[in-house]
Amino acid sequence: MTTQTLQSPESPLREAVGSVLYEFRWLLSDTAMMTWRNLMHYRRNPETLASTIAGPVMFLLLFNYVFGGAIGAGRDFNYIDYLVPGILIQNNLFTVMNTGIGIAQDLQKGFVDRYRSLPMARSAVLGGRVCATTLVSFASVYWTLAIALIFGMRFHGGLVPALILPLVVAAFCFAFAWVSALVGVSVRNAETASSSTFFIAIPLTFLSSTFVPVETMPGWLQAFAEVNPITHVVNLCRNLAQGGPLASYAWVTAFWIALMVIGIGSLATWRYRRIA
Amino acid sequence: MNQPAEIRDRSAFGELLSAIAVESRWLIADTAVMTWRNLIRYRRSPELFIFSTASPVMFIFLFNYVFGGAISTGDLNYIDFLMPGILVQTTLFSATQTGVGLAEDLQKGMVDRYRSLPMARSAVLGGRVVTEALVSLFVACLMLAVGYVIGMRFHGGFWPGFAVPFMVAGFAFGFSWVAALIGTSVRNAEGAGSLMFFVVFPFTFLSSAFVPIETMPGWLQPFTSINPVTYAVDLGRGLSQGGPILTNAWPTLLWTLAFTFIIGPVAVWRYRRV
Repeated sequence: MTTQTLQSPESPLREAVGSVLYEFRWLLSDTAMMTWRNLMHYRRNPETLASTIAGPVMFLLLFNYVFGGAIGAGRDFNYIDYLVPGILIQNNLFTVMNTGIGIAQDLQKGFVDRYRSLPMARSAVLGGRVCATTLVSFASVYWTLAIALIFGMRFHGGLVPALILPLVVAAFCFAFAWVSALVGVSVRNAETASSSTFFIAIPLTFLSSTFVPVETMPGWLQAFAEVNPITHVVNLCRNLAQGGPLASYAWVTAFWIALMVIGIGSLATWRYRRIA
Repeated sequence: MNQPAEIRDRSAFGELLSAIAVESRWLIADTAVMTWRNLIRYRRSPELFIFSTASPVMFIFLFNYVFGGAISTGDLNYIDFLMPGILVQTTLFSATQTGVGLAEDLQKGMVDRYRSLPMARSAVLGGRVVTEALVSLFVACLMLAVGYVIGMRFHGGFWPGFAVPFMVAGFAFGFSWVAALIGTSVRNAEGAGSLMFFVVFPFTFLSSAFVPIETMPGWLQPFTSINPVTYAVDLGRGLSQGGPILTNAWPTLLWTLAFTFIIGPVAVWRYRRV
C-alpha cells in the first residue's frame, strides 16, 4: 500500500485550527441537512402540525372568552393582552416537546443506525431535530399573533420590543428543545417521550404566570411559580408586548437559556454519542 | 305438536301481558349480566379506572389552586363553586367511555358473539349505560371526598348534599345514551373518542361549570344558559350550597328524560340495525 502525501507543509497549530473549522463546517451543513429532512416530514404529514396550529386558537378562545371574564374582572389589564404572551410560550413549549418524540422514534426504528453508517457529524441528528422544531415554533409565533390581533390583542410596548418578542420565544424554544432531546435520548421510546410532555410541559406552563397572575395563587404555589423559568420568560414576553421592566426578567431568561443549551444540550449530545 | 297447557287457557291480552313481563324480566336480567361484565373490566384493567379518577383530581387541583384565586365567583368560595362543576364535567368525560367501549365491542366483533346468544339485544347498550351510572356514582363520591379534604363544605343541609352524587349519576345515565348513540353510529373506537371530544368539550366548558356565566361575553350566554350542563351544575350547586333547587331541577330532569327516552331508543334502534 502506498501512503498518500496530501498534507500541506503547515504548522501544527494552523492544521488544528483548520481541522476544527473543517469539522465545524461539516457539522453546520449536516445539521442543516437533518433539519431539512425533519421539516420535510412536516410537509408530508401535515397532521403532525394540527396541534401546533389549532392549539393556540383553542386556548385563546377558551381562556379569553370562557374564563377571561372571571379572571380579568377588576384588574388593570385587558385579559387578552395578558394572555397572548403566555399562550405563545405554552403552545410552543408543547410544540418543541416533539423534539424528543422524534429522536426517540429515530432511535426506536433503527434510523439512527443508518445515520451511523454515513460520513456525517453525529450530533447533527440531535441538532437537526432541535432546529426543525424551533423553526416550526418560530413560524407558529407569527400565526398565533395574527390570530390574537384578530381577536383583539394589541401591542402597547412599542415597535422594537414587539419585533424582538418572536426572537425571544424562539430562543427559549430552542433551549427547551434540548431538554426534550435529553428526554428523547434517555427514554428511547416514542410513547414514553410523548407522555413526558404531560409530565414536564404541562406542570411548568400551568404553574406559572402563563394564565393567571402569580399573586392570586396560594403561597406554597407562588414559591414554585416564582422560580419557574416559564414565569420569567412569559413575563419578559408580556413586557415586550405591553411595556414594563425588561432587564430583570431578561437576565433570568438568558441564564436559563444558557443553562439549557450548554448544560442540558451537551448532556443530551453525550448520552446520544454513548448509545448511537 | 302440543301447545303448552298454561298458554292455551289465557286471553289474548293476558298472554301479551305475560309475554311482556317475561321479556322485561329477561331484559333486566341480561342488562344486569352485561353491567357486571363491564364492571369486571374496570377491575381487570385498572388503567380505565385511573383514567376516570386521576384526571378529575388533576382538574380539581388545577382549577382550585392555579386558577381559583383569579376567578371571581361573588360570595361563594371558589372550591364550593367548583366542585359541582367538576362532578358534572368528570361524569360527562367518563360517560364518553360508554361510547368508546361500545364502539370497541362493535369493532372487535364482541357484539357478533352476543348476537348468537339468547339475550335481549338492548341489554348490551343498557349494560353500558347502567355501568356508567354506577361508575359515576362512585367517582362522584370519591371527588367529593377529595374536595372535602381540600376545603369544600356543604352549606345546604344534609339531605340535599347527600342527593348530589345521585343527581350526578342520574345525569350521567342520561348523557350515556348520547354517548351510546355516538358509539353505535361511529363504530370505531378512535372515531368515537374524538367525536366525543367535540361534543363533550364545548358542552362542559361553555357552561357554568368553572366560571359564572354572567362573566362570559353576551354572545356566548344564550348558549351557556340553555346548555343542559349548566342546569345540572347549578342544581348540584343549589343542593350542596343552598339556593334555588327547583328552577334547575325541572330542566335537568327534562334533559335527562329526553336523553333517556328520545336519544336512548334511537341508539337502540341504530344498534339493532348494525
